[in-house]
Amino acid sequence: MSEIENKTEHGSMDGATAGTAEDPKNDTGLGLGVIFFIVAFLICFLSGWLLFPKLLYSKHEQPFNFDHVLHVEETGDCESCHYLRDDGTFSGIPKLASCLDCHTDEPMGETMDEAVFAAEYVAKEKEVPWYVYARQPDCVYFSHAAHTEAAGMDCKTCHGPIDETRTSRLYEENRLTGYSRDIWGKSIWGIKKNPWDRMKMNDCAKCHVQETGHKGYCFQCHK
Amino acid sequence: MKVDRRSFLGLGIGAVAGIAVSPVGAKLTDDFSIWTQNWPWTPVPPDGEVSYDRSVCNLCPGSCGITVRKIDGRPVKIEGLDTYPVNDGGVCLHGIAGLQYLYDPSRVKTPLKKVNQRFVPISWDEALAMVTGRLKQLQEDQNPEALACITGSAQGSVPGLFNHFMAAFGSPNCLTMPDLESWLVLTATTLHGPKQTLGFDIDHSDYILSFGAGLIDGWGSPVACIQAMAGRKQREATLVQIEPRLSNTAAGADRWIPVKPGTEADLAMGMCGVLLKENLFDPVFAQGFTGGFMRFTAMVQKEYPLDKVAEVTGVSADDIQKTAIAFAKAKMPVALPGKGRGEGAQSLKEFAAVHTLNCLTGNINKKGGVFVKPLPDYLSFPDPVIDDMAQKGAAAEPLAASVQELMARIDQSDQSPVEVLVVYNANPCFALNDPSRVAAAFEKIPFKVCVSPYMDETAMASDVILPVSTFLEQMEDVPSRAGLAASVVGLARPMVKPVFDTRSPGDVVIALAGALGGGVAQSFPWENYEDCLKQLAGQIWKPLTRKGHVIVSGRPPAGSVETDFSFLAENPDTLKPAGDQEFTLIPIDNFRVPSTVPAPSPFAIKTVSDRILKGTDMFVEINPQSANHLKDGGFATLTTPAGSVRVRVHFNDGIMPGVIGMVKGLGHTLNNRYVSGKGVNINALISPTIEPGSGMDAAYGIRAGISKA
Amino acid sequence: MIHDKKAHKYGMVIDLDKCTGCGTCAVSCMSENNVPFKEDESDKKDSITWMRVYRLTNGRPFPDTEVVYMPRPCQHCGGKGDHGHSPCVSVCPATATDYGYDTGIVSQIYTRCFGCRYCMAACPYHARYFNWWDPVWPEGMEKYLSPNVSPRMRGVVEKCSFCYHRYQLAREKAYVNGTDEVPEADYQTACTTACPAGAIVFGDLNNPSHKVHQIVKPDPHPDPLNPDVVGKSRNPRVFRLLERLGTNPKVYYMSEREWVRKMGDHYLDGEWDKVKNVYGSASHE
Repeated sequence: MSEIENKTEHGSMDGATAGTAEDPKNDTGLGLGVIFFIVAFLICFLSGWLLFPKLLYSKHEQPFNFDHVLHVEETGDCESCHYLRDDGTFSGIPKLASCLDCHTDEPMGETMDEAVFAAEYVAKEKEVPWYVYARQPDCVYFSHAAHTEAAGMDCKTCHGPIDETRTSRLYEENRLTGYSRDIWGKSIWGIKKNPWDRMKMNDCAKCHVQETGHKGYCFQCHK
Repeated sequence: MKVDRRSFLGLGIGAVAGIAVSPVGAKLTDDFSIWTQNWPWTPVPPDGEVSYDRSVCNLCPGSCGITVRKIDGRPVKIEGLDTYPVNDGGVCLHGIAGLQYLYDPSRVKTPLKKVNQRFVPISWDEALAMVTGRLKQLQEDQNPEALACITGSAQGSVPGLFNHFMAAFGSPNCLTMPDLESWLVLTATTLHGPKQTLGFDIDHSDYILSFGAGLIDGWGSPVACIQAMAGRKQREATLVQIEPRLSNTAAGADRWIPVKPGTEADLAMGMCGVLLKENLFDPVFAQGFTGGFMRFTAMVQKEYPLDKVAEVTGVSADDIQKTAIAFAKAKMPVALPGKGRGEGAQSLKEFAAVHTLNCLTGNINKKGGVFVKPLPDYLSFPDPVIDDMAQKGAAAEPLAASVQELMARIDQSDQSPVEVLVVYNANPCFALNDPSRVAAAFEKIPFKVCVSPYMDETAMASDVILPVSTFLEQMEDVPSRAGLAASVVGLARPMVKPVFDTRSPGDVVIALAGALGGGVAQSFPWENYEDCLKQLAGQIWKPLTRKGHVIVSGRPPAGSVETDFSFLAENPDTLKPAGDQEFTLIPIDNFRVPSTVPAPSPFAIKTVSDRILKGTDMFVEINPQSANHLKDGGFATLTTPAGSVRVRVHFNDGIMPGVIGMVKGLGHTLNNRYVSGKGVNINALISPTIEPGSGMDAAYGIRAGISKA
Repeated sequence: MIHDKKAHKYGMVIDLDKCTGCGTCAVSCMSENNVPFKEDESDKKDSITWMRVYRLTNGRPFPDTEVVYMPRPCQHCGGKGDHGHSPCVSVCPATATDYGYDTGIVSQIYTRCFGCRYCMAACPYHARYFNWWDPVWPEGMEKYLSPNVSPRMRGVVEKCSFCYHRYQLAREKAYVNGTDEVPEADYQTACTTACPAGAIVFGDLNNPSHKVHQIVKPDPHPDPLNPDVVGKSRNPRVFRLLERLGTNPKVYYMSEREWVRKMGDHYLDGEWDKVKNVYGSASHE
């Protein structure tokens, strides 16, 4: 007689009272159930916290490594490459033309990265398809001028000490939304240690409330 | 221990609980909602550095200066160019929509040839070889005059190169589509002698008597005219608008005088009669009257007595008298001919009669008047190298005086006198009256070449299409045309690299000439079009490239003007709308619907009222007083001697009873689903009538019947 | 920082006697703001035109008929008493539209909107449009799209923003020039700059040096007859649409013709004669 038939006989005839506590078989079942529960809980809990964040992002290497330290030593500051244009708009990641102010298709140094740059991009007159860590979605309007000129903030306040980085880290892109992980939030725990760990709307609003007393109207940051 | 149902239950609950206290649910919900707002197929326009580049719009005869806003070199917006002498920062909807023409679905992307009624892509070399092969055949047959050419306008270096080619090849059959400029040149030639045109200083005039000229409906240089009209009230200048329908110009005028369609010439003659009778003409200027002024005076007094004119035109004798006197007594009066945009079928008699009003008041070559000025000659073409055959061919009698006449002649012939036809920047198979007859004539021409950026009706009827760039992709000189007082030449410059495998039309002509060899090739000694333009422009090249424009003439021309009245003294017939039905169908020139080349842009079509076009249905305007049993918005059958169509009815109190109005420029059949198959081409309902004095089609309207469908 | 300086109140006045009905404002707006188009745009209820040009007639028979054209952008209502409770803002359950107290401009955030269309029902001016379909540009044509305005997706409402992106850009320019004052010429909407007749004047209604203020002469005090109405023009030729609703639009219209001014609202028999000396008249002067 199978387990199922057994159950059907007892269970269906005796109703609810006959069920759980008195039946020793059920005890073992419950015990096993608890173990199963705990195992499944732990697996899912841990993968939710540890594996899921890894799976949620596709990881991309930059076309080649970029040494900020080296460049800051040569140029002096952030604004040499990431500057405000005369009309107040922000130039962002430099275009190839800016790089060619110094670079030629002959590498200046000896790194492999520069060799790649010279051969693949300068020689072929191709823009470098950088992944932009801080890229906001299209609906966001962000004015660098408002922050650096009007509010007098410096780059590091929001972007961190990028000038001290020698290597370009992996770019992580949310598979669903296409957002950079720098926008979406580095920590799965929602902990934000530095301003550059996450830059969603509430992060903008929080600082605006602190600094200006108002989170701003929609159009202040949207287009 | 046995694994039972509860174990699995435990497993499931554990998994759910584990996920529930992990960030998976919250994050996925958040991400999912963000995903629904950032569909991957919604375009994200790339950002970059803003720059502005200036050029000249070449979409209509207006020739406005434009600036093109670019993002990292990618054009994103067209705006008016401040301080440009034609439009001073103004712009119109078609110019702004210019970027749509770059990527228009009807662009021809590569040279095409027709094989079994279908177009097949070919290389430029093959296309040019096909055309030169045909042309060489004509030369071998000693029959160069069997080549005909139709261009959209007569001015500028590119039409000039086509003319130059025809002269060197040896054919007199180079014709221009009937635009306002061609009517003005014809009028000036008839009244003041050859190689002249008329410019109207409406900016300064204090009394504008417009015989249907759509000053804010696209007449002349549209933006310049709208600006002049906007400043009119401050200047306290009067505008009297004479036309059968309350156009936007009439609505904005100080006075609208409705007139029976097709009788404008008679009204103008009647007003001339008033001026002559009241002795209100300028005696000083009249010293320049030659050729039958006395005959003209006698004829007008006899044939155009006030009461007769009043009866013919439907304008009261009192109105005619008062208006004519007010016009003559104004300080700087100007009378404007050219109904609607002033293009297409008009009438030389009407142009001449209206301009005679200007001549009588003597407000010629004065501020606020009419400038009789020489045709712009800033380009110095070298004399073509002409061999015996070309000389013989060029001396042959031209086949026709107008495109319409040429098409009629081919249509009626058993064997087409034209063996090769080249069409540049013109769409006769759509824009001329009775396009089906034009298409039938095309069928009879053995070889048609269309030089066009678009697969329009004429391109579709051609055998080879040579795709050329749009005005945003090439360099070209753009002379201001169409009735402006000042003559300005602008330089259109490439704003973007050609989007498709297209060439500049100038380069196409130069390449064809080079491939032909002989005298034709020698007549085209230039490397390419840019080199050619530089040499043709000569002294003005430098200022043209530096400033973007050159004012060739701005002030009233000096010197006396002679006026020859012999054309009008013969009292040519006023061509009445053909047919005998109850109504008169007239075309409406609507600013938002261009009626020639190019076809409307998707943006322009979007602005068209749903009382002009609804779905694919075309509306006609009719006065409710004469609508009989028709219903507003209801369907009706409109019948003219040329054809019959199903339309919908729009009651408009602002149109004369007995008149039906239909917007011109719709009903395209070209390869662009945003524009094609919408409405009716009114030209298909009007049969052409060639005016004897001009050889041009003068059928502005036609008699029509309308009944409930 | 937003509240401690005098707020702007951007608005426009459109001279209906100058307007030619050419449609240039509408196309300039579409081109500036990445407005899409469909194969059939003749069903005007779903034809997205932030700036729409209406044709008005005096309704009289031939030959006394008159016609004017009335361009209609979003009216950027200040709501009752001009407190920022615009009809659309008040009903939005998603806060996808808000009233910018610093500029007086009513926003619309496409990514926030979930398409309930309450705002469209609430708007007395039909200035809001719903994207029933995803925008599709013919092959290659998306290359002319401007990065300054986000293209919309299916299922959201959109409307005129007074070219807010131009304000954003003008402010950036001001910042690098070391000021946060935006000069009048630096912030003009696309319809204003395009109008070949110069019929549209745009600027800060609160700034007496701006042309729009000088033409409109807005009354800072509430209308004595209707305290909900604020900013009524003291120019007898200037009126607003449905002014008595108290929506307090920031788009004013101007005409010398009485029948045109009367078209600005629905009047009962005899009502116009009563109000015409109060509304749009010299009563405040």
